[in-house]
Amino acid sequence: MRDYSGVALVTPVSWGYAKQSPHGAAWFIGSVLRELIQRSGLQKSDIDGFAVSSFSLGVDSAIALTQHFGLSPRWIEQLNYGGVSGILAMRRAARAIQAGDAEVVACVGGDGAVHRAFEGTAANFSSFTIDASFPYGAGGPNAAFSLITQHYMDTFGATREDFARICLDQRYNANHYPPALLGHKKLDLGGYLAARPIAGPLHLFDCVMPCAGGEGFLMMSIDRAKSLGLSYATLMAADELHNAHPQDAIQYRGGWTHYIDAMYERAGIGPADVDCLQTYDDYPVISMMQLEDLGFCAKGDGPRFVHQVDMRFDHSGPQSRKLPHNTCGGQLSAGQAGSAAGFLGVVESLRQLTDSAGLNQIDKPQNSLVSGYGMINYDRGLCTAAALLGRGQQ
Amino acid sequence: MNIKEKMQRRLKLNRPSLRARARPPKQRTPLGQQFTAANLPSALSMQTCSDCGHVQYPPTELCGACLADGLIFNDTPVDGLLLQRTDLHHSLWEFFKRHLRRASWPIASVKLDAGPTVFCHLGDRRLTTGNRVQVFSHTDASQSMVLIAVGAEHDVGAREVRRQLTEQLGLTQPALRQGGI
Repeated sequence: MRDYSGVALVTPVSWGYAKQSPHGAAWFIGSVLRELIQRSGLQKSDIDGFAVSSFSLGVDSAIALTQHFGLSPRWIEQLNYGGVSGILAMRRAARAIQAGDAEVVACVGGDGAVHRAFEGTAANFSSFTIDASFPYGAGGPNAAFSLITQHYMDTFGATREDFARICLDQRYNANHYPPALLGHKKLDLGGYLAARPIAGPLHLFDCVMPCAGGEGFLMMSIDRAKSLGLSYATLMAADELHNAHPQDAIQYRGGWTHYIDAMYERAGIGPADVDCLQTYDDYPVISMMQLEDLGFCAKGDGPRFVHQVDMRFDHSGPQSRKLPHNTCGGQLSAGQAGSAAGFLGVVESLRQLTDSAGLNQIDKPQNSLVSGYGMINYDRGLCTAAALLGRGQQ
Repeated sequence: MNIKEKMQRRLKLNRPSLRARARPPKQRTPLGQQFTAANLPSALSMQTCSDCGHVQYPPTELCGACLADGLIFNDTPVDGLLLQRTDLHHSLWEFFKRHLRRASWPIASVKLDAGPTVFCHLGDRRLTTGNRVQVFSHTDASQSMVLIAVGAEHDVGAREVRRQLTEQLGLTQPALRQGGI
């Protein structure tokens, strides 16, 4: 696979997180776009590539948005892939820039959350959902994930206390990230364990809170980023694989297992060198699965591993091994803004690598591993993607 | 229709919690409607590929194994292995919310011997992971087909038995609210 040399990611933007909002998806996407333009110092007409992800655009598509926002891009992409949409947008845009198809690509994910919108998304997510999972009563993907979680617990001996490690460290991180919707609330083990049950082993703090919000970043050549005086990150390596391991009766691993070793090799680092990790955390079992499949521990060792590693952004935990994980609180504490959630890990990595995170800034990370997972079409998440981002040389 | 009736009708549409009768999700895709129709006369009927024999579920347009345009609904063996069960405590859907106020709602994923993995209502709370089960289809109170897993001791070949097991789950009747719209 060719490398991604010469490509820069700049101007991380998170916008408008709210539990409910009267605004539609275009408001969030357009607001992110406006922020990207303002913070980069570019003109709107400089943006000649536009990649969009959203679940709630309704009858509109990326192309309709060009007229809403007065854009005339010569490269356009719509990626409705939920939890991997940010990484996929980044990969596609990087290739477009390398090939000269576009010079400046705005990658934006955004979704609204009007009253009862999530019910509509859950009920109409896919034809398999409509015919074969929603009629069985669970709210959205809770059924599939409670089965996946219970299966993982039975197979590998994981307990709720193990999952709590992920949720509690993320909440600590969210307490230092003002836009996180649950960041104003502290969470301890007692509170986590006492939460009301949702489905099987899943309790309230194991489930993301659907919300409204937007995430985005710009991609351009490194030369262009430097000439604009923008701090940037590079794309060291990335890969994706979808509907992997279809023979597994219940999902306990994802497509990462197929490509992660080669990806580390291309990037020239290993899991021990990762300064910052952003996993896709719609439910803690999925983050634990990623810790294993991304090579931080062996399959089935996740429940032990999370007790041996400090996942707080500021290394304030008692464990000697440090691995800042979901440093803005992840979706579990920041909220899941529909398709924008698939951008959250990329945007947070970019903030960390450009030293623009604020209160939850890690001390000079050199790289960040971001991982995506998504689209519960029926009984499992179909998409996986991962990318290693590196600090740009100024 | 006077203004009061109009407002009542609007409330009924927009606020499921106020409805006198709440029913399970009715919506199905056209293929899901075919699944409902095909299962009316049988204990379990699933798409089977006339080219390669693959049994397909959830229903699709083409065979998921060989992509042939050869899927026809055929009677399918009801036996399977209960992969995992879970008890729901929360739902977005009013019908289930009303049932969940009384007790949790058990569902399961079952690997049918015929091949597919299915989500189904669990007809017997004693069933758990690793049990042999039978999965049959029945219409719910929305007249849409759902799958139900029960233990191996039931004669699910008999329509009356299937009817009774489905009624016991409360699936054939709407969930009521006193004084609802």
